[in-house]
Amino acid sequence: MQVSRIHSKTKVFAQLLCLGLPTLLLAGYFLRFANNFYTILENDFIKQTIYFGVGLVAAFIFYAYRFRFVTTTLVLFLVFSTIHFILQRLAFGEFNAFFASVHFLIFSILFLFGWITGYGLSRSIFYTIAWPVFLCGIQIFFVGKTTDITATKLIIAFAPVLFYTLFIIYTAMLIRNVDEDKQKLKWFISGRVLGFLLLVCLALAGILYYFQPQFKAIEKEWTARAKAKEGKGGGQSQTSMTTTNKDGSVSNANSTSLTSSLSKNQKLIFVARLDNYFPDSITPNPLYFTSSYYTKFDTAIQAFEIDPKMPDNDLFKPDPSTIPLYFARTDSTVIKNSHATKDRKIVQAEVYAVLLSPNEFIAPATAFYCQPIPVPPAFKDVYKSAYRAKMWVSDLNSAYFIYNPANNPALEDFQQERFERLRSVTSYAGVPKSFLDYYTDMPSDPDYDSIRTLATTLTQHAHTPIDKVLAIRDYFLSKDEFGQPLFAYSDNPGIPGLPSASKLNYFLFQNRKGYCAYYAGATLFMLRALHIPSRVAAGYLTVDRSSKNPGWYWFYQNQSHAWVQVFFPGYGWIDFDTTIPDVNTQQSPQPDGTPPLNMQQPFLVADGNIQSIDTTKKLLTLSVNKLLFHDKDYASPVSVPILLDISLATISRDTGVVNIQALQRNMHITAASYAEALKNSMAAPNDSIAGIFSKLNKPVPIDEIKIVVAAAKNDKTAGETVEKKSGKLNLLKIAIIFLLACLLVLLLSPSLIWQYYHTKVRTSTTHPEQPFFVHRALSFYLHQLGYQRKAISPHSFATKLDEALDTNITSFSDLYQKWKYSNTRLSDAEFNSIKPFYEQSIQQIKRKIPLKKRILAFIHINRTFHYFKNPKISSYESE
Amino acid sequence: MNQNESLGQAFERIYALLKNIGTVIKGKDEQAKFVITALLARGHILMEDNPGTGKTVMARTLANSISGDSDQQPVIFKRIQFTPDLLPMDLLGTNIFDDDKKTFIFKKGPLFCNILLADEINRASPKVQSALLECMAENQITVGEQTYKLENMFFTIATQNPIEMEGTYPLPAAQLDRFFLKIHFGYADDDTELRIYKHYLDIQQNLENVKQVLHMDDILFLQNLVDTVFIHDEIVTAVRNVIVATRNNNDILLPASTRSGITYIKCLKAYALVNSRNFVTENDLEILAQPVLQHRLLFRTKEARDNIIKQILDVELNRLGRLSLKTSQE
Repeated sequence: MQVSRIHSKTKVFAQLLCLGLPTLLLAGYFLRFANNFYTILENDFIKQTIYFGVGLVAAFIFYAYRFRFVTTTLVLFLVFSTIHFILQRLAFGEFNAFFASVHFLIFSILFLFGWITGYGLSRSIFYTIAWPVFLCGIQIFFVGKTTDITATKLIIAFAPVLFYTLFIIYTAMLIRNVDEDKQKLKWFISGRVLGFLLLVCLALAGILYYFQPQFKAIEKEWTARAKAKEGKGGGQSQTSMTTTNKDGSVSNANSTSLTSSLSKNQKLIFVARLDNYFPDSITPNPLYFTSSYYTKFDTAIQAFEIDPKMPDNDLFKPDPSTIPLYFARTDSTVIKNSHATKDRKIVQAEVYAVLLSPNEFIAPATAFYCQPIPVPPAFKDVYKSAYRAKMWVSDLNSAYFIYNPANNPALEDFQQERFERLRSVTSYAGVPKSFLDYYTDMPSDPDYDSIRTLATTLTQHAHTPIDKVLAIRDYFLSKDEFGQPLFAYSDNPGIPGLPSASKLNYFLFQNRKGYCAYYAGATLFMLRALHIPSRVAAGYLTVDRSSKNPGWYWFYQNQSHAWVQVFFPGYGWIDFDTTIPDVNTQQSPQPDGTPPLNMQQPFLVADGNIQSIDTTKKLLTLSVNKLLFHDKDYASPVSVPILLDISLATISRDTGVVNIQALQRNMHITAASYAEALKNSMAAPNDSIAGIFSKLNKPVPIDEIKIVVAAAKNDKTAGETVEKKSGKLNLLKIAIIFLLACLLVLLLSPSLIWQYYHTKVRTSTTHPEQPFFVHRALSFYLHQLGYQRKAISPHSFATKLDEALDTNITSFSDLYQKWKYSNTRLSDAEFNSIKPFYEQSIQQIKRKIPLKKRILAFIHINRTFHYFKNPKISSYESE
Repeated sequence: MNQNESLGQAFERIYALLKNIGTVIKGKDEQAKFVITALLARGHILMEDNPGTGKTVMARTLANSISGDSDQQPVIFKRIQFTPDLLPMDLLGTNIFDDDKKTFIFKKGPLFCNILLADEINRASPKVQSALLECMAENQITVGEQTYKLENMFFTIATQNPIEMEGTYPLPAAQLDRFFLKIHFGYADDDTELRIYKHYLDIQQNLENVKQVLHMDDILFLQNLVDTVFIHDEIVTAVRNVIVATRNNNDILLPASTRSGITYIKCLKAYALVNSRNFVTENDLEILAQPVLQHRLLFRTKEARDNIIKQILDVELNRLGRLSLKTSQE
C-alpha cells in the first residue's frame, strides 16, 4: 500500500522544530506545575515531558502521510487500553506491577495527548486555536489552586502561555501556508519565525516594563484586601496590631501605626512562665513582653518606625528556629547597652509558642539569652516550639504600673517605693549627648507645637523626670469639669476630619479616644518635648489571671500592646504604660489551660548533620560537632559520628511536629536524650566528644529531635542580587553594543559590497576578467539605486537604462555578452574602451541621481538582499 | 581569414534581406528577424494574428527577395487559403489520367514550391492540417506508392486566426510542435500606422518592385553557417534548465519535450546569425523563449500562459547574470 505524503520532509522538519519544540517546552512547564499538585505524578516531570514529546514527534511524522486521524488514533487507543488492561490483571496481588500499570497509564495518557497535539498542529487549523485555549484554561486552573498569588507570580504563570499562544498560531499558519516548492524554505521559515519571536519578545517586555508600576500597585491592593478580609467584623478597613504570617503564625513587628481602627482577635499567641516575683517571693510580678522598639517617628506616614541603627541597641532578636535544641545563644552587648547597673537581676522565662512564629523571639526587656527547648510530648499538639530566655530585669519594672494596683496595698506600696527611688534621678547630666539627642528627637514641625505647650503646662509643677511622667499619666486619667473622664479607650478612634491634620493632635485635643498606640505616641512626644529620653516598646502586655499556676501567663492576640520606655541613668530603660483602662469592655478572663510542665533534664544533647538514615530500622548516624553531656558543653572541630536509635524520638521543626520522612541526609539537627541509661555514665574531666561516645552503649536512644533551620542569608543574597543586577546590566550593555554593531554592519553592507566591486574594477585594469567586474560593479550600483532588472533580457534592460540615465550601457552590455559567450576574444580596442566607459558611466549616473538619493538608496538593505536572491516562480491558481 | 570573410558576407546578406523586407513592411523588424531565423534554422513559422496585419505581405516580400533557379526570377511562392472544405489533395496534388499517354500522371500541388504561405491554417479540417504538417516535417510527399521530394529550400509561413474566433479547428499541441516559432504579428504602433496610411501607394509599388537581394543558394549556405555558430555551455545548460523547469511546474499540463530543446538551440544559433553575431547571448535566450516554447506547452490557466515562461527564464537569466568569474571563463 502506498500512502502519499501530505507534507514534504522539509515541512515536517520545520514543524518539528518550530511547533514541536516550543510545545514540548511548554508541556514540560505545565507538567512541572501539575507535579506540584498531584502526588500520583511522583515529581517526575522530565520523564513525562519525554512521553509527551515521543507522542508529539511520532504524530508529526506519522501524519505527514495521508493517514486518517480517527481510525489510527482509535487503534492506538485500543492498543493502549489492552496493554493497560493486561497490566492491571497482572497487577492483582503484585505491588510492582501495580506501579507499572499506573506508570503506563500516565505514559499512555501523555503519549495520546502528544499524539493528538501532533496531529492537530500538523493537520488541523481548528486545533491550532483550540490547543492554546485549552492550555490557558489549565493555567487558570493551576493559578486558582495557588494560595499566595502575587502579580509577579501571575506574570510568570501566564507569560509563557501567552507567548506560546501567539507564537504557535503564527508559526502554524506560516508553515501551513508556505510554498513548499520555494527554494531556501529553511531560511524563509527560520527568518520569519525569528523575526516574529523578536517582535513578540519586544512587545511583551515593553508591556511588562511599561506597566510595572501598575502591576505593583495592583499587587499592593490585593495584599491590603486580603488583610482586610482577615480582620474581624469586615466592612471597614481594619488592621490588626499583629500581622498574620503565611503559615498562620503571628508576629507583631512593624504594626504600631496609627490607624483609624484596631481589631484584635482572641486567639492564643503563646504561653510563658516568668520567674519574676516581688521581694516577698510569693506574689508574681508580671512583666511586659517586648518584641521591638519604635524610636523614630516618620511624619510622612504618621507612624512610628523601627530604626535598626538606634544607638546603644539593647534589643536581642535571635531566630530560635536556627538555634540547635538546648544550645543557647547569648548577646552580652545587650546588657552593656542597657546602661542599667542599679536594681537589676537576671530573670528566666520560658515561652511556648502557639500562634507565635517559630522564628520570632519575644521576652521581657532586656533579654540576652535564648535557648530552644523541646515541647513536652503531651503538649506537642498545642505548642509548636519553645525556648527559654534570660533577661536583665529591673526591680522597678512591673506590669502593675497602671493595671490593678488598687485593692492590693502591697502593690501600691511597691509603686510608691519605685517612684521614690526614681526621684533620685533629677537630671540627665552625664548621659552622652548623642544618645540624648537621638532619644529626645522630635519633629520641629509647627504641628507639634501644641503638644510641646501641653507638655510644659502639664508638668510645670513637676521637677524630676519621674514626676513629669506621672503628671502626663495623671492627665490621661483626669476628669473634665463635668466629672467625666477626659480620655477614653477606643479600638476605633475614627479618622480626623482634615486629611493633613496630625493624628496625634487630633487625638490629644479633639477626639481624646484611642488605643494603646495613641497613648504611647502622645506620651512619647510629650516626654521628648520635655527632653526626657524615651521610646515606644511594642509587644504583649501581661495579665496575671491565674492563681492556680503562679508565674504562668497566657497571651492572647488582644494583648498585643504598645507602651513607653523612659530612660533613667543608672536604672536604664523602665516601662511606663499610660494607656487608660478600657471601661466598656470588661476583661473577660480566658479560661487558661494547663501549663506545659514536666520539664525533663536531658543527659545528652548532640548537634550536627545527618550522615545517614535508615527509616525502616529507625537508626540514624549523626556526625556531631557540639555536645551537651550532663549539662557540660563539648565542641569539636572534627565531627564525630554516632549511631542513634530514633524509634521513640519526636521530631519537630519550626512548623511543628513532623514525621520521620522529614529527616534527610546532610540535614542539621539536634538530638536530645532523657534516657535513664545515660544517667549513670559520667564523663571524665578532660574527655573529648569521641571519648564520651566510646563509653556509651550504641545505638543511643533519642527522645527529641529538632530540625534546625538554616539561618537566613539575607545580607548575602542582597549582595548577590546587586552583583547579579550589575552582571545583568553588563550583559545588557554588551548585547546592546553587539546589536548596534550588527545593525551598523548591516546598514553599511551595501556600501561595503559596492566598494569591493569598485576596487576590483580598479585593480583589474589589465586583467582579462575586467569586463566581469565592470559588469558586476555597474549592475550592483544600479540595482542599489533602484534600477532592478526585472524579467527582461540584459540588452533591453541596458536600453532602458540608457534612456533613463543618458549612458551608453547598451554597447557595454553587448560587449560583455560577447566576452562572456563568444569563442573569440575581445579585440584590444574593445578592451581598452571598457575602463573609460566604466568611469564615464559612474560619473553620468552620479550626475543624474542626487547625492541625497544615492545615500538613502545605499542603506536600502532589502535591495542588496534582492540582488543576491533568486527569483521565484509563483504559482497561478485557477479561480 | 576565410571564415571571417564568409561570415562578413553572410552578415551583409542577412542585413540586406532584412532591409529589403523593411522597405515594404514598416515597423515589423523584430517579426522579420523571427521569420528569417525560422528560415535559417530550416524550420517553419506560425504567425498568429488578426487578418490584415501584414502577414501575407511579409511572406510575399520574403519570397520576392530571394531569387530562384532561373535567374532574375524569384523563388517559387505559393499561397493557399485554408478553408473547411479543402482536401489534402488540393495541397499535395493528385494523379490524374492522361488521355494521350493512357497513364496516370502526377499533378503537383501547391506544396511544390520554395516558400509556402498557408493562410488561416486553423480553418481547414484536421485532415488537411496533418497532411501539411507531415510534409513540413519530412520534406517529402507520398501519394499512392510514389514519393516525391520537395524543394531543398522549403519554408512554410503559416498564419492562424486567434483560437477564440469562430469556425476554426485548433491545431493539436503535437502538431504545433512542427513549427519552430510561433509569433504574434501585432498591430503597428501609431506613428508607423500613420506613415503607412500616408505612403500606402509607395508600399504597394515597393511590393511589386522588390529587389532580389540574394540567391536561393545563399540561403542554403546560411543555413549551413547556422550550425557553426558558437553556443556557450552555460547557454546550453540554461536551455536545459528552462526545459526541465517546465516539467516541474504544476501550472503546466504538457511540458516541453527534448525536441523542443533542440529546436530552441537551433533557433538561438540562427537568431544570433540574424543579429550579425557568431555566438549566442543571454538576450537571444530571452527573446526566443516565448516564440519557441509557448505554443508547445499546455497551461492550466491563462495567467500561467502569460507569465510562467517569463518567470522560468528570469530565474535562468539571474543565474547567468551571477555566474562566477571561473565558470563564465571556462
